[in-house]
Amino acid sequence: MSGIGAGLLLQLGLGALAVLTALTAAPSLRSRAVGTLCTLIAVTGFLTGLGAMLGATGGLRIFIVLPIDPLLLAPDRLGGLFMLIVSGVGVLVSLYSMSSTRGPDASRTAWVAMPMFLVGMQLVPAATDSVSFLLALEIMTLGSTVLLLADHAGRATVASAGIWYSAMSQLSFFFILAGFAVLAAASGGTSFTNLQAIEPVPANVAFVLLLLGFGGKAELVPLHVWVPRVLPEAPSHVSAAMSGAMVKIGVYGGLLVSVRLLPDGPAWWGIAIMVVGGASALYGILQASVSSDLKVLLAYSTTENMGLVFLALGASMLLRGYDAQAAADAALVAALLLAVSHAAFKSTLFLGAGAIIHATGERNLDRLGGLGARMPVTAAAFGIASLGAAAIPITSGFVAEWMLLQSLIHGGRLDGAVVSVAASVAMPLAVAVIALTAGLALLTFVKAYGIAFLARPRSAEAAEAHEVPPLMRLSLVLGALFVLALGLLPGPIAALVAHSVSANPSAAVQSVGLGGVSLPGIGAVLDPIMLVVLSVPVAIPVIVSIIVSARRYPHRTVALPWGGGGSRARPRMQYTATSYAEPLVRVFDDVLKPSRDVQVTHVAESRYLVERVRVEQRVSDVFETRLYRPVLTLFQRYGIVVRHIANGSIHRYLSYSFVALLIVLIVVSL
Amino acid sequence: MFENIYPQLIGLCAGALLLTSALMVWRHSLLASIRLLALQGIALAALVAVIGIAEGEPELVLVSLLILSVKGIGLPWVLAYQSKASIKQIQESPRLNPTAALLTVTLLTILSYIVVSRVFGLGDSSTGHAAPIGLAMVLIGFLLLISRRRARSQLIGFLLLDNGIATITFLTSGGVPILLEFAFSLDVLLVVLILHVFASRMRTKFGGTAVDQLRELHD
Repeated sequence: MSGIGAGLLLQLGLGALAVLTALTAAPSLRSRAVGTLCTLIAVTGFLTGLGAMLGATGGLRIFIVLPIDPLLLAPDRLGGLFMLIVSGVGVLVSLYSMSSTRGPDASRTAWVAMPMFLVGMQLVPAATDSVSFLLALEIMTLGSTVLLLADHAGRATVASAGIWYSAMSQLSFFFILAGFAVLAAASGGTSFTNLQAIEPVPANVAFVLLLLGFGGKAELVPLHVWVPRVLPEAPSHVSAAMSGAMVKIGVYGGLLVSVRLLPDGPAWWGIAIMVVGGASALYGILQASVSSDLKVLLAYSTTENMGLVFLALGASMLLRGYDAQAAADAALVAALLLAVSHAAFKSTLFLGAGAIIHATGERNLDRLGGLGARMPVTAAAFGIASLGAAAIPITSGFVAEWMLLQSLIHGGRLDGAVVSVAASVAMPLAVAVIALTAGLALLTFVKAYGIAFLARPRSAEAAEAHEVPPLMRLSLVLGALFVLALGLLPGPIAALVAHSVSANPSAAVQSVGLGGVSLPGIGAVLDPIMLVVLSVPVAIPVIVSIIVSARRYPHRTVALPWGGGGSRARPRMQYTATSYAEPLVRVFDDVLKPSRDVQVTHVAESRYLVERVRVEQRVSDVFETRLYRPVLTLFQRYGIVVRHIANGSIHRYLSYSFVALLIVLIVVSL
Repeated sequence: MFENIYPQLIGLCAGALLLTSALMVWRHSLLASIRLLALQGIALAALVAVIGIAEGEPELVLVSLLILSVKGIGLPWVLAYQSKASIKQIQESPRLNPTAALLTVTLLTILSYIVVSRVFGLGDSSTGHAAPIGLAMVLIGFLLLISRRRARSQLIGFLLLDNGIATITFLTSGGVPILLEFAFSLDVLLVVLILHVFASRMRTKFGGTAVDQLRELHD
């Protein structure tokens, strides 16, 4: 058996062992024991993925009696990359969950679901046929649903989130299943190698179905409605795994369709993916920027990032259609780098949010503040990950967005000539979308970090916060280091990633200088370490002048002239998350449709004196209220009518099958 | 000698099967239904034995003994396992009056003859001619399932349905391998035992086994 096959088998074996341990271990040992096994599963997946990504071949065959193509788990280079991403997040999450879980999150059921979730997620990119792909996908979904519902008895919102999640994930599953079924019917096989090369009509149908399915898994608009409910309600380590790893399966699906199964589609495929991706990016970041709930903010930001990934993917498909191969490859590598960097920073951010909840019990930014001094390690990790999410240089997000912008700007032209009208319209629009998204992302993460970690505590819980246990800190620090490493050494990583999608990787991406990245087809170079080294001579005079001026003018305490010795700013006078985002809510009023409620209570004696003012602002999801609610109302109305058909009487049900049998018999004998 | 009376024996057994099925729809007393079921089991066993002797397969004779012990004796005994005094009082009040029920039985029998002759063709053999009886038994069993209120009467409908399937199997293909037949029989026996326990639980809990009063689902 090959190394890859052994790795896959080991993951399955460790998964079974973890489930058994979760069932039998004593409650006091459970988290440690199963958490360690989960870490081992993820490490095995990481090594297997690394091997597959570097080009090792081999696999695991599963024997079945059904007359279809054999079930074969054998990751190719692309599958290996995604296995690496998913299991890398898995390592962080498993380490973190060992000491973060408590109460219902550490129950036997939750710990049984955790290894299932991890193994399912790691096996999806390894599948080489649609049946094992769907099987692994369902194991993953089942595990994540159980994990989400761990605290269903304690909070009513969890149960509602569970229903949304189940419904939406099954909807996605249905689309994916239907898409694969169309392909299989047209090509006569279930293995991915057989599913290719089919007629245009079934190809178009399958493309739309698979895009809907994987778009739902990747949280794209308008199938994202589960995200702002599910990710905030799940335990934080589960949110981190869902957002950091599980949505990447949607990205992998998108790549599987566009690179492997249906590589030579018409131009409108690329444009459709770009439109969906661009809309998701804008809508996601807009919702994130006005949210004052930390985890809702992070959830919507996931939609934004996945939108950018799909925008890059669509641009790559469009450019490949016009033979702009270098730009197309650069856009595809940018999509992969966006996915890798998102996995790193978003899982760190969610784990950081979990640390905040662990310390304060709050996830409402308006009640946080001043955590920087009380939780220095968490603050540093969260800060670095925020830089990554806002795409600031020397972090991973910057490199990926830079590469995407390069390919979009240079992609519209080939040897100086415009490649097509569609591309020359789509590319500038896409650049505009990314620019707006990047600006709003900066604002969003300044808000998230600034309100939560700086200034003074806005509640007693935030004032009494304490740093989290060592294992949680360890995984936070590891995540932050990943973000920095990806940002400082983009060249080797991009070159490695390019191998998994490009036939001629060195023509698309090269590593130059001190880990810098170069795009030979476009003629762009980025070397972050060199930039840092170069910025030192600029920074030294500034630092020196600051030190000198600080010595010359020592710090003076300024008191309010009429303050009677009181402090100038009380916590309530600070900016809150809501007030910080207020201008944005005004600007984007038409899209966000916020509802405001102001209640003024007057003093009993005089209506000129105000006792208290209560302001409440809610921003609802437009897609949920305008698209899903009407459909749900319609279903409910018909559901009530249909209830008469199924009234619970066993005799009636039996009569239905009897009548159906009689009808069949009469029809066949006619 | 045997070749001459073979078609008549097949016809006799098949006729007994159909007659007992029709009588089960007509009679309302539970005890009578159980006795008819036992008779039907014996008739089925006889049918299998006749086919076995005619085709010279000792295995089928073994199967017929198995059927006799399970369907002719075992199952009826399990169903009647209660004091005779109380079982005599159990009267079914079906959802279909006897005249309508017997009329439906006639229609179902005609339908099954039409279906089998049109779809498969009756063929020349005497077993082929009797095959529609099996389908008729299946349909009558289904009719019993939907027209009876009590759980145990429905169980009888279920067993009639099962007998019908067995009849079709033996008449059309000369039976399934003995191992499968053994497994099926034990399966049915197990189902009946479980349902029987279930029905007794229902009776102690709700004071009756009228299934049509059970409509609401609970956690």
